[in-house]
Amino acid sequence: MQIIIDNISVECQEGESILEVALRNNIYIPHLCKHPDLEASGGCRLCSVEIEGEEFPKPACSTYVKEGMKITVRGPKADETRKMAMELILAGHPSECTGCPKYGKCELQSMYQFLGASPEHWHKTSKPVPDNKDNPLIMHLMIRCVRCGRCVHACRDMRGVKVLDYRHIKGEIRIGTKDGVSLADAGCRFCGACIEVCPTGSIMDQVGLITEETTYADAVVPCRATCPAHISIPEYIRAVKEGDCDTAVGIIREKVPFPHALGLVCNNRCEEKCKRGDLNDPLSIRNLKRFAAENDKTQSWKEKYTACAPDTGKKVAIIGGGACGLTAGYYLRKKGHDVTVFEAKKIPGGHMTSGMPAYRIPTEAVLDEVKVIEETGVKIVCDKKIENAAELKKDYDAVLVAIGTSVGKKLMYLPGADLPQVYTALDVLQAQRLGIDYDFGQTVNIIGGGNVAFDAAGTLVRMGKTVNVVCLEKDASQATPSERDAALEEGANLFDSHSNEAILAENGRVCGLQVHKINSFSFDPDTRALIEDAIPDSTYVIPCDSIVFAAGQVTGLTDAFGIELNKFGYPIDPATGKSEYTTSVEGVFAAGDVITGTKFLIDAIAGARDVASLMDKYLGGDGQIDEQLVERKADPHIGRIEGFAGLKRTELKERDAEERKKDFDVSSIGFTCEEGHCEAERCLQCDLRLNVSRPHFWSDFK
Amino acid sequence: MKKYQADVCVVAAGLSGLAASIAAAEQGLKVVTLEKNKVTGGAASMGMGPLAVGSRLQRMKGVNLTADEAFLKHMHYAHWMADARLVYDYYRKTGDTIDWLEDMGIEVIFTGGTLYTPTRMRAFAQPEQTGHLIAPPPGQKPGPRCAATMTRKMTERMQELGCELLLETPGKKVIMKDGKAAGVMGVDANGEEVEVECKAVILACGGYGDNPKMIKETLDYNWGEDLFSFRIPGNVGDGLRMAWECGAAKSKMMMELMYQIPDNLNHFDLEGAFRQPLLWVNKLGERFVPEDCIGNTATMGNCILNQPGRTCFTIMDSDTLKYYKKKGVDFPGVQGEEVFDHFDEAAEAAKEEGYKYYFEADTIEELCEKTGIKLKGLQETLEEYNADCDLGRDTVFNKDYHFMRPVRKGPFYALQSFIGAYGTLGGVKVDRKFRAINEDWEPIPGLYSVGTDCCNIYGDTYPFVLPGNTMAFCLNSGRMAGEYVAEYINE
Repeated sequence: MQIIIDNISVECQEGESILEVALRNNIYIPHLCKHPDLEASGGCRLCSVEIEGEEFPKPACSTYVKEGMKITVRGPKADETRKMAMELILAGHPSECTGCPKYGKCELQSMYQFLGASPEHWHKTSKPVPDNKDNPLIMHLMIRCVRCGRCVHACRDMRGVKVLDYRHIKGEIRIGTKDGVSLADAGCRFCGACIEVCPTGSIMDQVGLITEETTYADAVVPCRATCPAHISIPEYIRAVKEGDCDTAVGIIREKVPFPHALGLVCNNRCEEKCKRGDLNDPLSIRNLKRFAAENDKTQSWKEKYTACAPDTGKKVAIIGGGACGLTAGYYLRKKGHDVTVFEAKKIPGGHMTSGMPAYRIPTEAVLDEVKVIEETGVKIVCDKKIENAAELKKDYDAVLVAIGTSVGKKLMYLPGADLPQVYTALDVLQAQRLGIDYDFGQTVNIIGGGNVAFDAAGTLVRMGKTVNVVCLEKDASQATPSERDAALEEGANLFDSHSNEAILAENGRVCGLQVHKINSFSFDPDTRALIEDAIPDSTYVIPCDSIVFAAGQVTGLTDAFGIELNKFGYPIDPATGKSEYTTSVEGVFAAGDVITGTKFLIDAIAGARDVASLMDKYLGGDGQIDEQLVERKADPHIGRIEGFAGLKRTELKERDAEERKKDFDVSSIGFTCEEGHCEAERCLQCDLRLNVSRPHFWSDFK
Repeated sequence: MKKYQADVCVVAAGLSGLAASIAAAEQGLKVVTLEKNKVTGGAASMGMGPLAVGSRLQRMKGVNLTADEAFLKHMHYAHWMADARLVYDYYRKTGDTIDWLEDMGIEVIFTGGTLYTPTRMRAFAQPEQTGHLIAPPPGQKPGPRCAATMTRKMTERMQELGCELLLETPGKKVIMKDGKAAGVMGVDANGEEVEVECKAVILACGGYGDNPKMIKETLDYNWGEDLFSFRIPGNVGDGLRMAWECGAAKSKMMMELMYQIPDNLNHFDLEGAFRQPLLWVNKLGERFVPEDCIGNTATMGNCILNQPGRTCFTIMDSDTLKYYKKKGVDFPGVQGEEVFDHFDEAAEAAKEEGYKYYFEADTIEELCEKTGIKLKGLQETLEEYNADCDLGRDTVFNKDYHFMRPVRKGPFYALQSFIGAYGTLGGVKVDRKFRAINEDWEPIPGLYSVGTDCCNIYGDTYPFVLPGNTMAFCLNSGRMAGEYVAEYINE
């Protein structure tokens, strides 16, 4: 049907409100209590319009169109009603905007800018209301509340949580919880819908949550923003909660090809930023990923996942079959390129299969995920060490160097470091995982106190060795406490606050480590030289048959590799002098640990995604590697869960130390279905907020 | 990345940015304006109106003040610590700018009259009749925030003139090419990069009042501890940073101090009730100002800044409270004349909330214990002050005898004040054409700074004597820069 608004004839349909029709046709009608996603209540009267033949102005939000209606938005009667309405609204609002954190983004401010401010009788009805900043995540600054009711509708109707409502408080009608209890006690799910719809600065994110440094979406959903690969965490957790692990894995796989591996070993920085952490403890995001991967029965994502674009005829060689190389290979193959991955070791997987303990990440789990990559047509050539990337480039259109940092470092300044029974942590892990035979003897002293030292310790314990971990840090504070404690429980010995003097030998074989004790230590900020406060006369020897350095890893590259390196052996792009995705040879790219130094699995994968996109563009593609694999649901009506704020985090159970030290099976036990569901239910679903429509401002209309 | 092309890119659409955009567009330039917020107008949308001298409206009301007189008064007040040529040009422009606003369809009103000024303040704080107000829509009285109508009309005007306004799109960096400003990088609400290629850039970002770290570094105030200034969200110093990155020299940075109680909106009536010529003491218990001078918020800010702990207390006794409740206030301020009608309610609310800056005590000892004022000091002060009240003459400061009311009868009431401010001033060194200049006083071609980012005309204190200055400086510096930019581009 047709109606006429301000002499403009517009098309509309039965059941639409005048406001809807006007806004859609770029005709602005002031309004406040009506939010695009919420039922109209017609309360504020700012949207009053004149309808031909009607004596009194009608609210446009709750008056529905009729064929041939003639509407005047700013007629004298409507404007009079609007002026009164605005005065009433402002009467209960502070007369000053100073100090308001919503200033500049406030709908009421925009409204008084549009309509003109009417100061009459202002602070007559505006009574002080103390700010309530005691709730986690959400501030109530209710002196600014104009009682439009949008938060009530959002909480009750949109979300079904029913925490906020109009209450009688000290003879006034105010928004609040029943009996004024805390949001947590009222059953709030901290979804933030109320913040999203509040037109003033009455309900706001706690100070510091929304910052200028990140986009709004990133600030609202910090877990996803923090993940280097930006896995859509709230979405897959929602799928897990629905019991749909296939969809969850599909969502994860939209960003990373190793959901199971990451579910086992990711260093889960996302959890540090999880907003649930402000209530009690963050979601157990990593373990939910593992749960999803281990319960992914039908692999409904797979057909789309392995489908590739038509062949481009371009050939890509990838040096290094670790997480970075395989991920990049997968995406480049998807874009239609012919991809060959060269791996120096006898199996692919890089650190996942040879640089981490098998009891954290089993080889089969990784190879299963590699198999999916191979199904796309990526060729993996193992036992093939590439000596020169520039040479290789001659046979390929593009080459990616993704060899990681796969050579363990020995501290050669330590006397005795060149003895035969001196190894690195990587040697230990590879010995076990690839079946290489090294002469460790019975007692092994590990030098170093980071996570890798304890990985080596746990592995050696399982190999039946006596293990001593010797490190400078008190309590081996560099290591993650849980990883440290697990190895110690399994029987490794810790010699913390110890400094090394020399590796001792007898008849040409290692027989001990000479050490002394220290009170504290630091590093010279300029030279990085060790400065220690040693305990006098504390020198002694810790006997052993071999030494293992857990002192970091290097690329092991030399100039013979054919690309320009910095003095530490990392490739650089001469254009910037820094390690970049590009190198000194055109068409030869680099990514992962080989340019960043040893980082985490998720960083290598994120880097691989970036470099794959860049290489695709280099090869003539569009660089677009994002793909939606699965449909997902996002029901905004989350409902009530009693005691939601107090729901406890489910931790992963570890097998008993005495038990687990006997084998190389995974030492932790994945969530049961019930545990997975319970944990997923704790999610605040912060992302739902971003689906709430943004309100209309007059300045959006021209 | 989204790309735009323009002659001029204006960064921020507060009052100075709006004025600059319109002025440049009126000169036929293509303008793209970036604004971080969703609402235009910046701090001006909460104001009432600008200063002007020699406007048609003033002449009709018989206000004879000329630009020359205002200029001299201003410069004397600022002790000539300002660029005289710039200040003179500015005052000469202000009258015409009112016409300019009216031509845009903005109704400006001039009511004449000024704030009540007690006898002893008149010498240094009797304001000239320079304040203009923006008329609200028909049938409404002008009041707080009425300048929002002006910022709306200016927003519409700039769009009518073809300026492209990108809301929720902060400018992040000025692009320099061959030593000239050649573009601006910004980012939109979705995080997508925006590039504006242009021949000149006008930075109008409103200072750094919302950047406590930068305030601490540059001014050594601790926001939330000894400073309770307004923080206009988003005013974090973008304009200064971007100009400095291009080699602009730093100019003196300051805040236009005033005084304030923490969380004043929730304690509006209390603040009004105590902003009276009562007994004002510092932490030592000593008087530090003739209390009939507290009405000049700017100089009072300076006074408090120089007290121990940068704070002070206003004290009244029960008799005075009774008197005020019956007779009304001595000084009606922005809080209105009826603040004592709501005093009990306001005091009750403050106590219930646990507001830390309002005190009630039955004895002076208890008051000192609660406030941390030195007991001996306050006792000595009271002895002297109460004796003077009996005498009917202030032997210390010669405060107007009308206001000599003893502090004798408990319970006693006290309110603690701190320094406050609207925002910051200055930071980018400019010449009289608002061109950002480097350490050698050479202009950086194509780079302009306007509004509070470059406002260095006050010396050390806001010129209370010429009200409306900060808004007028934003309005006129923006307008002038918009015109100068046309000169530069057409050269």
